[in-house]
Amino acid sequence: MASLIRGFKNAFRSGIRTVAIVIILGVSIGLSLTMLVARQAVDNKISAVKSSIGNTVSIQPAGFNSYSAINNSLTVSQLADLIKIPNVTAVNETLTERLTTIGSTDLSFGLQSTNSSNATTSLSSPVKLNLKRHLFKAGGGLFFSGGGSSSIPTNFSLPITIIGTSNSQNINGQSLTLEQGNYFSPSSNSDLAIISSNMASKNNLKVGSTFQSYNVNFKVTGIYLSANNGALGNAAIVPLSVEQSLSGQSGDVTAAEIFVNSIDNLSSVTSAIQKELGSNVNVTNAIEDANTEVSPLNSVKTISLYSVIGAIIAGGIIILLTMIIVARERRKEIGIFKAIGASNLKIVSQFAAESSTLTLLGAVVGILIVILAGNPMTKFLVSNSTTAGTVGNGRFSRLGSFGGGAGGRFVSGGRGVGGVLRSNITNVHAVIGWDVLLYGILAVIIISVIGSVGIALVISKVRPAEIMRTD
Amino acid sequence: MLKVKSLSKEYNSGEHILKAANNISFNVDDGEFVSLVGKSGSGKSTLLLLLGALDKPTSGSIVVDGEDLAKKSDRELVRYRCLKLGYVFQSFYLVPNLTALENAMLPMEFAGLATNERKERAQYILEQVGISGDKINRRPGKLSGGEQQRVAIARALANKPKLILADEPTGNLDSETGKKIFNLLKELSRSENTTIIVATHDNNIAAKTDRKLTIVDGQLKQDK
Repeated sequence: MASLIRGFKNAFRSGIRTVAIVIILGVSIGLSLTMLVARQAVDNKISAVKSSIGNTVSIQPAGFNSYSAINNSLTVSQLADLIKIPNVTAVNETLTERLTTIGSTDLSFGLQSTNSSNATTSLSSPVKLNLKRHLFKAGGGLFFSGGGSSSIPTNFSLPITIIGTSNSQNINGQSLTLEQGNYFSPSSNSDLAIISSNMASKNNLKVGSTFQSYNVNFKVTGIYLSANNGALGNAAIVPLSVEQSLSGQSGDVTAAEIFVNSIDNLSSVTSAIQKELGSNVNVTNAIEDANTEVSPLNSVKTISLYSVIGAIIAGGIIILLTMIIVARERRKEIGIFKAIGASNLKIVSQFAAESSTLTLLGAVVGILIVILAGNPMTKFLVSNSTTAGTVGNGRFSRLGSFGGGAGGRFVSGGRGVGGVLRSNITNVHAVIGWDVLLYGILAVIIISVIGSVGIALVISKVRPAEIMRTD
Repeated sequence: MLKVKSLSKEYNSGEHILKAANNISFNVDDGEFVSLVGKSGSGKSTLLLLLGALDKPTSGSIVVDGEDLAKKSDRELVRYRCLKLGYVFQSFYLVPNLTALENAMLPMEFAGLATNERKERAQYILEQVGISGDKINRRPGKLSGGEQQRVAIARALANKPKLILADEPTGNLDSETGKKIFNLLKELSRSENTTIIVATHDNNIAAKTDRKLTIVDGQLKQDK
């Protein structure tokens, strides 16, 4: 114990040197802890993003362009065996159509209430999207993706999405939360529909009301919240078999959503489905999207990991060299200690206590640094990394169109995963908790041990006889 | 107490072999006060280092209190230096950032004595060698040369060793102080029945010891 106390006191034997070593070690430990905090924050963000994705696999025909799958639809029979793939729990199939008629006032587009007086549509004479594609490209997408232009042409008619589904509770991976009414049965072949609250409000529809499409009267059984359903904000959901029959696409589907029992099995199930359906079908899962989007964060993780290791090694080398210099300076003292009966262990423990004291003080400075710089440094790293990654890969513009607005979502026809991720991906907040302090202590121990190894090497080589003889 | 037989120590300087100790043999009894006399470089200090187990002989044996040093492990030699041996150096070799009391306590700490016990004994020995009052709490830099050597002697006596080796203990002191230090060692030899071997080049000091061993070029030339 006395040798430890002596080592502690020796740490302050030279004031200027102590301050210098503590500052250098503090910066080193602070840098390693800051990187550790950044890594934790990024790791948490990646986990949060992935866990928010859900465990589904999406299937679309290759080259599928939203609602215009005319010649390359999937068929129910193609998808029939997918349920047999291990770990698949459910298969939801959808057939999506876009219906539009210029000039009618039967059912109005739900969003953009201030402008939608110029943008009405009717379900009574459906016109397929591919026939109006030029209009769509020139109008819908651009009007809304940029935040809402007010220059919608007079009498412009926005399309309405009709989705036939085998599961009215979940469309293309999005759960529908009903505001009023009920879901229809998966096996229903009645002319029933659930519509968005936007659509209901715009067209004065309630549960039990009817509207006309394909020259058939559909009865509204439920109304779902539009706000949380992005692309489904202007859709009417009907039974799959009804949509197949009325649109003349019996047995066809435009997309399917496969539910997997665990997120861990997504990749294997995706591969199995791809193998089952062949190369003419796009099989994707959200994890792949998420992985693509979080790849800049993975870069931050990698950089921070190397920085943690580098900073700890640097700290170790600093204390190692310092203590070697100190021990060499005190060779005579070590020789005397040996001459009067001190064991190597006693002397090493004294010097180890000295190096530990210096390292501990360095850790205090390091923790202050991480408290001050942890969060700004994390944001800086994430900001730089995601900017470089998205611009470099050309994803930035794509994400912009995905997440830009209603028009953007129409173009994608999907779930806008990229947009959702993009908006959150840089929102990383570093938290400095007790675990950081524990890591700091661990860093101190590692650095002290490295320092002690140097001391032990010097001390073991000191021969008292040489000291006495050369003095 | 001490049996030295055919002790040799050679240093290989590359071009030639230097025999710092050449076939030295002698015995020392308990409580004897012996001086090792010789010119500078004659081999006195080398012999003391060998007796103190701080260096290893090329050949020969040293038996202290019935135990052959050559047969001891490094760990046992550490215990030997700690418990059976006291060393007094010409340059005192006190630890500069420790007080006189803390310096005197060091060997007892290495021996594993409790803090109170070693503090009590260190104070007692320091008083015996003439260091008392506030001087015990002074660092070596605040003590005179004679006082520093007294502290060094107190440190050497700390664990009640059977053998004290003193290498030119008065070499860095003025003659008056040197005389006092020498008298102190002699007194301790008698009162504590401690065997003391003093290396010196001063024949006047050597004349006052019980026995004088003269070393010339590493060889024992005279024993009287």
